[in-house]
Amino acid sequence: MSRSLRATVVLLGLSCGGQLVAWRVAPAQRGSDARLARLDSTTRLVVAAVVDSARRTRVPTEPLIDKALEGARKGADGTRIVSAVRGLYAELRSARAALGTGAATDEITAGANALHAGMPMRTLTQLRSVSQHAGRAKVTLPLTVYTDLIARKVPSAVASDVVLSLARAGLRDGDYAMFQRNVRLDIENGADAATAAQTRARGATLRNVGR
Amino acid sequence: MRNHPERWIHRVAAELRRPVRLDDEFDRGVMDAVRAMPRHGHRPWTRMLRARTITVSPIVSGIAAAILFAVALSAGHFIGALRANRASGRVDVATDRSGGTKPGVRHSVQFVLVAPTARKVQVVGDFNDWDASHQEYVAQHRGGGVWSVTAAIPEGHHRYSFVVDDSLWVADPAAPRVLDDDYGLPNSAIVVGGGDVAQ
Repeated sequence: MSRSLRATVVLLGLSCGGQLVAWRVAPAQRGSDARLARLDSTTRLVVAAVVDSARRTRVPTEPLIDKALEGARKGADGTRIVSAVRGLYAELRSARAALGTGAATDEITAGANALHAGMPMRTLTQLRSVSQHAGRAKVTLPLTVYTDLIARKVPSAVASDVVLSLARAGLRDGDYAMFQRNVRLDIENGADAATAAQTRARGATLRNVGR
Repeated sequence: MRNHPERWIHRVAAELRRPVRLDDEFDRGVMDAVRAMPRHGHRPWTRMLRARTITVSPIVSGIAAAILFAVALSAGHFIGALRANRASGRVDVATDRSGGTKPGVRHSVQFVLVAPTARKVQVVGDFNDWDASHQEYVAQHRGGGVWSVTAAIPEGHHRYSFVVDDSLWVADPAAPRVLDDDYGLPNSAIVVGGGDVAQ
């Protein structure tokens, strides 16, 4: 073998070896989303690592990137952004486990928000089962209503009971929207949050039974 | 007698070196027989299939093995990443800078905020990567303090907020809230499309 050919082969081998090392050392940077360029380098590296973990564990990655971008837009520091992204990753994993493998990305995202708001995992599983039994394809809207109730100071146990009863009654999207609007107006008009939610849920359920 | 074998060898060699006289008919017969034989050994695939011996030094074989290993590992990672992306429901982000970065079916959604003293109202959310630099998400003043904008939003669950005068974050008063205290500023939720009917 000529000297130049041998040198070429050695260089090629070294280049492949270097590429291999780079591949193993920086998996997070490899999968980094271009939008994360808005973050500082340290935060970007940690967020990219979390996103990479999510991708490998088949957890939706888009909500994690959104959470980081939201933090950047709201002027949060890197520590806060990393903490929020890590917390959301844990909640997304729990939500996916509770909802089952067939859950859509937006259901998992809404489920993570509901868990963050205080919904027990058992209730999340139950809600999906009850909704499917009632002929509903997705639980995204019931979960969004639950999170709204919690944000309006309805106790978690009451909010869980309310969304489960609405799901059992087989409410449609429009009914959920009307329920949420009515409870909001009641609370804004001075009603007790738990009472407003329970009363409006009873009405929505009865109205749906009459169909 | 000593030279007897050498003489014999010289005589035999001289006999063998002597040109052989063949007639033209014999030559023609041989060439006809050769031409009648099937052609082989000239097509690329026959060359590829023909067994041959290659001599490779240990160092070259080691480097070749390393290259093959690196290529196999890269292919494995690539396939793994593709599968993970498919499983997580993530689609590569399109670079549609005019209407946000999220793929999927879009629906027109109207955002309304009553803000009588505002000079500028924008909508930011996960559907536009929290970036209100696009004109599509800048609300217009309709009079009487009512600001509104209609934008094409992808199906699914979204979090968003209004930004008033580039500084004040305001949750949509008419929309469900998200208990989203990570950054200390409020967000609203919207579900575009629905889940009425089981598929």
